[in-house]
Order: sequence, then C-alpha cells, then structure tokens
Amino acid sequence: MKYILMMNGTKANWNEYTKWSKEDLARNTSFMRAFSKELKDSGVFVATEGLAWPGEAKIVRAGKDGEPITDGIFPESKEFLAGYWIIDVESPEEAYKIAARASAAPGPGGTQGSLPIEVRLVMTGALDPSL
Amino acid sequence: MKYILLMSGTKTGVEGYHAWSQKDRDAHMAVLQSIGKELSASGEFIATQGLTGPQEAKLVCGEKDGMPVTDGVFPESKEFLLGYWIVDVATPERAYAIAGRISAAPGPGGVPTNMPIEVRRFPSYGEGKT
Repeated sequence: MKYILMMNGTKANWNEYTKWSKEDLARNTSFMRAFSKELKDSGVFVATEGLAWPGEAKIVRAGKDGEPITDGIFPESKEFLAGYWIIDVESPEEAYKIAARASAAPGPGGTQGSLPIEVRLVMTGALDPSL
Repeated sequence: MKYILLMSGTKTGVEGYHAWSQKDRDAHMAVLQSIGKELSASGEFIATQGLTGPQEAKLVCGEKDGMPVTDGVFPESKEFLLGYWIVDVATPERAYAIAGRISAAPGPGGVPTNMPIEVRRFPSYGEGKT
C-alpha cells in the first residue's frame, strides 16, 4: 500500500523556520537525510521532494478562452505543501509510525518536534500514462 | 524546471464530485488521461498520483509511549490534496498552461470545472543552501 506523508504549513510557519539558527537547520537537515536513507535501506522508500517557498506559489484556473488565469494571492490561513515522502508499506499503522518519526524531527535547540504530518493512501495510477 | 501541479478540495467538494453522473466522471477522466498522454509524448511528464478520499486521512503528531499520535478530525474548511502531476518544463508559463488545461477538464454536463490548480516549483538540488 502506498502512502504519501505530507508536511504542510502556513506562510507564518515558513517564516518561523527562517529564524532558526544555522545549527538548528543543520541538525534538522541531517535528521531528514538519515530518515530518507533509513526508509531506502528498509525498502519502503518510493519518493521524496521538498517544494520551493510559497512566495512563488500560483493558483491557476482555466479562462473562457482556454488561457490560464494565474493568481498569487492566498488567505493567511492557507496551508502550503512543504514537502512529502511516498512510502510503500504493509499497513496503515506502519505508515503512521513512519509519519511519527518524521513528525519528531528535531526543532530549535534540538528539542523533539511534533509537526503534524498528513497521511494519505495513494491510489494506483489510473491517470499515469506510463502504466 | 520541475513543477508540481496540485489539485485540492474540501470534503464538500469531494462529495459533490461523487454526485456526478458516471458519464460526466468518465468524460472528466478521459480528458485528464489524454493530458497525461500528451505530456508523456512531449517528454514533460514525470509523475502523477491520485489520492484516496479525505475520509481516510490522518494527521500524525509525534509519538507517545513509542506509538504515533493520530487524529482524523479536520476543520470543514481544510483543503485536502486530491492528486498531483509533476512536470519538467522549460518555463513557469508552460507549467501554468498545463495547469489551465487541467482546470478546464469538463465537469457535469461538459462545463469546465475551473478547479483551482496550485503550481509549485521544486528547487533544484542545493538551491537555498548556505
């Protein structure tokens, strides 16, 4: 079963992150690297990506003439995807355990984090042209 | 440049989609499938996934006594990711154009859904590192 584990945050959350010290950032990054490596070593890793800052995010809607209409204004409360992992596991419980590990990634001062991680089951690719 | 095109919706929006006729749903999916094939043919396609409905969604916040703390209660306004496309394109405008095509996929009675598609870039490796 494939699950996607998503880290989301508002722009305010992202701004907090920019205030972290270099040391805190380095600690968090090395945790994330080790975490991905562990997922790879245990054979559950499918993919992971981090996204660029929400400052460049755009919402696109189709216009009447088929031209895209873009908008870069979002409500303050809008949650932006910061990054994700896709894993292939035997049970939802295994996915929750792995999500909890990601959630506990170290924050400022090395304190254990409790960042909410959204866990969603991925459907098999009905729209994937390569399948 | 790699971009991810995110399609999101509330629970109410998902329920609305489930109320569509089978014919409307088939027409919608056929257009999304043909967009996928076109992107594959142009070499811009990287990946696409659909997610299962928000009713199975869980939020995990850390662990207690070695067990993950899960919560399945979300505000009504919460936007859930429904699916995404990852594309590798020459310009942001091309990413917006593809997002526009997805947004124009037909809804009930063949009328375009005009669903908002969020377009986000993947930073190239090493970008932003100090």
